[in-house]
Amino acid sequence: MFLTLPLFVYFLRDQKRWLDRALIAFTAPIEHAIVVAVGGATDAWGNYLWLVHTRAQDLELRREMLRQRAELQLASEITAENARLRGLLELADKSAPLKLLAAPVIAVGASPHSHTLRIARGTADGVQVGAAVIAPEGIVGTITQATAGYADVQLIVAPQAAVPALSARTRGRSTVRGTGDLARCHLDYALRTDELADGDLLVTAGGAGFFPKGLHIGHVVDVQKRATGMFIGAEVIPSVDFSRLDEVLVVLSSPSELAPPPVDPALVAPAAADLPKPSPRASQHAEPRPTAPDAAPGAPAGAGPTP
Amino acid sequence: MTIRNLLIVLVCFAASILEATLPMLFPPFLRSLRADLLLAVVLYLALHDEWVQGAGLSFFAGSLSDLSAATPPGIYAFLAVLTFVIVRTTASAFRADGGLQAGALAFVASLVHALFATLIFKLLFSGSSLALHASWLWSAFATGLGAMPIFALLRRLDESLLPAGETLGPGARARAR
Repeated sequence: MFLTLPLFVYFLRDQKRWLDRALIAFTAPIEHAIVVAVGGATDAWGNYLWLVHTRAQDLELRREMLRQRAELQLASEITAENARLRGLLELADKSAPLKLLAAPVIAVGASPHSHTLRIARGTADGVQVGAAVIAPEGIVGTITQATAGYADVQLIVAPQAAVPALSARTRGRSTVRGTGDLARCHLDYALRTDELADGDLLVTAGGAGFFPKGLHIGHVVDVQKRATGMFIGAEVIPSVDFSRLDEVLVVLSSPSELAPPPVDPALVAPAAADLPKPSPRASQHAEPRPTAPDAAPGAPAGAGPTP
Repeated sequence: MTIRNLLIVLVCFAASILEATLPMLFPPFLRSLRADLLLAVVLYLALHDEWVQGAGLSFFAGSLSDLSAATPPGIYAFLAVLTFVIVRTTASAFRADGGLQAGALAFVASLVHALFATLIFKLLFSGSSLALHASWLWSAFATGLGAMPIFALLRRLDESLLPAGETLGPGARARAR
């Protein structure tokens, strides 16, 4: 009789959402306050100790900044050239800046067997259920529930998680599934003909409702080619160390949601002049596209109207 | 709702908040030490409460885990009630008044709880792994450590509410009524 209690919860899952949100609204601020208070005290102590080395570090950082400025100038030249060539070829700008929101991680799932994080950003900041969450090393997970100020993130290693993947080397498609182990995922539907090998990097395949294309998922290990069957078996080591996440980035809009950027004729003209023989088709593509009048004012640079 | 039940509910809330935030306060290499403090509460209830009251409170404790688990609702509530039923059924075999006994019981219960959780996930999600994870041991160790203060706190709470002369034990609260 007692064991049937949770069944009622399952069947009433749609009705009890408000209760979940109310409980999160009650507990999350306390969790946030604890993390901020203890973290602040620890940081203050750590900062005081680090002052001893500040001068030496300052000099080193200044040198590093100068070096990186030089590299940045070089990179901006390459980016401008790349933009001109892409405009000519009328390629959708896959590297259009994502609209990202930094979010501090304030808690983990209450049970040690859960695979979730709680972040201090919510619907008031533009976070929506289903939004992708990433870190500098790769993808982290998706938003599963959100209140005004807080949201829960389901990690890609959760047993119910699956991410469409693309091999960076072979371009073969597959699916990365969570296993419940923080350090491993399973690779499904990778074709035998793809010739995946240990160490191959997997990136997100993109698509509506999924992660933006090209983000790191992890590296393939333990590739097992069976005697028969269409698919091979393999494991994936995630790029992100989920136990070390203190801050993540929520993707508020991705390039797949953005129209290709309008081509700037000023950028196209010099590049077209450099080409030996522009074909009539290329000239036609070089025409600037009209910009929609209702383009969002806050949209990222180079982005068209969002749907 | 009696005062004791209300206090247990508050302890569950506090345990839920603590077990969610404590790993964030540890250095990264210690973050696998995730104590299941709600499991410790369920164990205490199984050893000291009568069936209906204990099952109800265990259900509440499990529901708090469900809240942030991003799994189909009810899984952790089911696991908590299942743990309560198993330990309550075999309560006469255990003697855990607190301290190391409580820690040892929580350590074993955490491992069994992890095994049940993995089996249920395997039934529900094909991708789930049945392999044993090293994190289970760390988690069980942390749960064992965390169970000691939880048992001490709940025991003190019960002693303050029991009539004079009564001692705690399986079904003690039922006898007191």
